[in-house]
Amino acid sequence: MLEIIRIHNELLGTYGDRGNADVLKFRAGLRGIKAKVTDISYTDALPKEGDIYLLGGAEDAAQILSLNALKKGMTLNKAADKGAVLLAICAGFQIVGSSYVTRDGQITGLGLLDVATNPGDKRLVGDIAIESEFFDVPLTGFENHSGVTTLGTDVMPFGAVLSGNGNGINGVDGAISGNVFGTYLHGPILARNPEFADLLLERAMGIQIPHVTDEIADHYAKWRRTVIK
Amino acid sequence: MASPRLTIAIFLAKSASMASRIIGNKGETISGRILLSLEPEAISLLAQKKQVILISGTNGKTSTTRAIAAIVRQLGEVSTSGSGSNLSWGAAHALMSKAPYAVLEIDELHLPTVIAQTDPAVVLLLNLTRDQLHRMHEVKRVSDRWHVECTEASNTVFVADIDDPFINYAVVNATNVVRVSFGGRPHPDGAVCPRCGSYLKWKSGNYSCTCGLTNKISDRKFKKGSAAMRNAILANVVGEVLDAKPMKFKESELERTISKAFGDKTAHFRLTKNPASWTEALQADIKQDVILVLNARQVDGIDTSWLWDLSFAPLKGKRIIVCGERGLDMAYRLHVEGIESTVVDTFDQAIVLTKNKEVSVLSAYTAFFELVM
Repeated sequence: MLEIIRIHNELLGTYGDRGNADVLKFRAGLRGIKAKVTDISYTDALPKEGDIYLLGGAEDAAQILSLNALKKGMTLNKAADKGAVLLAICAGFQIVGSSYVTRDGQITGLGLLDVATNPGDKRLVGDIAIESEFFDVPLTGFENHSGVTTLGTDVMPFGAVLSGNGNGINGVDGAISGNVFGTYLHGPILARNPEFADLLLERAMGIQIPHVTDEIADHYAKWRRTVIK
Repeated sequence: MASPRLTIAIFLAKSASMASRIIGNKGETISGRILLSLEPEAISLLAQKKQVILISGTNGKTSTTRAIAAIVRQLGEVSTSGSGSNLSWGAAHALMSKAPYAVLEIDELHLPTVIAQTDPAVVLLLNLTRDQLHRMHEVKRVSDRWHVECTEASNTVFVADIDDPFINYAVVNATNVVRVSFGGRPHPDGAVCPRCGSYLKWKSGNYSCTCGLTNKISDRKFKKGSAAMRNAILANVVGEVLDAKPMKFKESELERTISKAFGDKTAHFRLTKNPASWTEALQADIKQDVILVLNARQVDGIDTSWLWDLSFAPLKGKRIIVCGERGLDMAYRLHVEGIESTVVDTFDQAIVLTKNKEVSVLSAYTAFFELVM
């Protein structure tokens, strides 16, 4: 059974990112792989044995609550150290970084990705397309944030920005280190890019998984690549 | 006596409006724009001689504005916004009328400015949930702006549905408030206290925060009900503040529902534009044949991620046809929830594919106006 842990959706659920868990479960199911989505709220203890952990976008006050809860016990860090897959979107991406800055000053993040986020001078809102070495096709999504995220030396960018802003600096989006993926793409990203969902499933299973055709998913992903503004 | 500049601006704006109507437009936007470009202070100047009533919130603005206009009409002539015409030029257009009362629907982001400009008698704050995030950015950002202006506006009576914590926070320091509660209801974006940032404690749709923000202490308490029923009650509370007699409304009058014949089929349209209005619509009576229309233009919200924030389970077992510019976003969303649909480009193609005479249509904002207005 593949354990998918959706973390603090009531806090990190402003932008539809909860759908990433649903798509992972669905695409596992297409291959006959049993998967379970567990919602962990702010007041719950985070399970240690998850295969895939998901963090989504949030407003400022929710972001800090979630980060503080994740710092207790550092369960997510321990799971990531053991190789669990982690996908962190937008505010989630900032949470797993080394630091980010709020009105009240600099906040220390979980340090799972060597990135630092500072406030930008404008809000970055709109369609985004990126090119990542993992995929033959561009990934598409929607971004809405005002952070500028600078990468340290221990991470690689997740992709090069083809259209839109991403990290807001150096023409890249997101960051990766091992099985930890951070990105600014909402959409939800896994709904709009089934290739990425499959990559995460493979990483979590540790084996190559059979290719499946889900016509509507492929059609949707392809079509959305054509309507990037 | 109006200044000569204002008088001329009104004359030109009204002429433009008339010309615009002759060629088949509503004539509100153009006249409001001309008026404001010739006299930027027009809204404040025109509002001085009137009792102004403003209505804002994510959902229910247009229908509640219509209800309040009907209630206030018992007191005297009313000028009001045209359907959905809720930006500053819509307000400017409505204020040109000589009527002593102006009942205006105002866009959430424009509300603080219009309050400052019009010094309104009453402002009704309905609800704040996520909507058009490409423009609003964050729900909290909107409520912060409201909070600042509501605190300033000491002449205004605010009627506030405080079951919504963002509304309660907006008026928490206002001078004159009628706090209304309907016994609580869950809020899709209400996990964090908008006032102090703590994790908000919820129990059976009621919240209380350690900072004191709660819906349990209200000035007026009513029974739980649908959004339409709540809005009818809130409209009458506004009427009460103005000493108008209460009016009865049918639930359907306060829903954005319209029935329209297409050949031998009757399509029952309902406006669904964000997670909150979708959730409300999915709890209502839905026919066996359902058409879902999704667009993503500016006023619809240019991003469709929010489709994943609500459950479409009530549509299971129905015949679903999806259309609109972003129909495929909807179809894939449904597919992952185990609901299959047929995707076509246009509403005309969709209605042909329905089998029953009665069809439910859940429609995005722009499509709703194109199809039924």
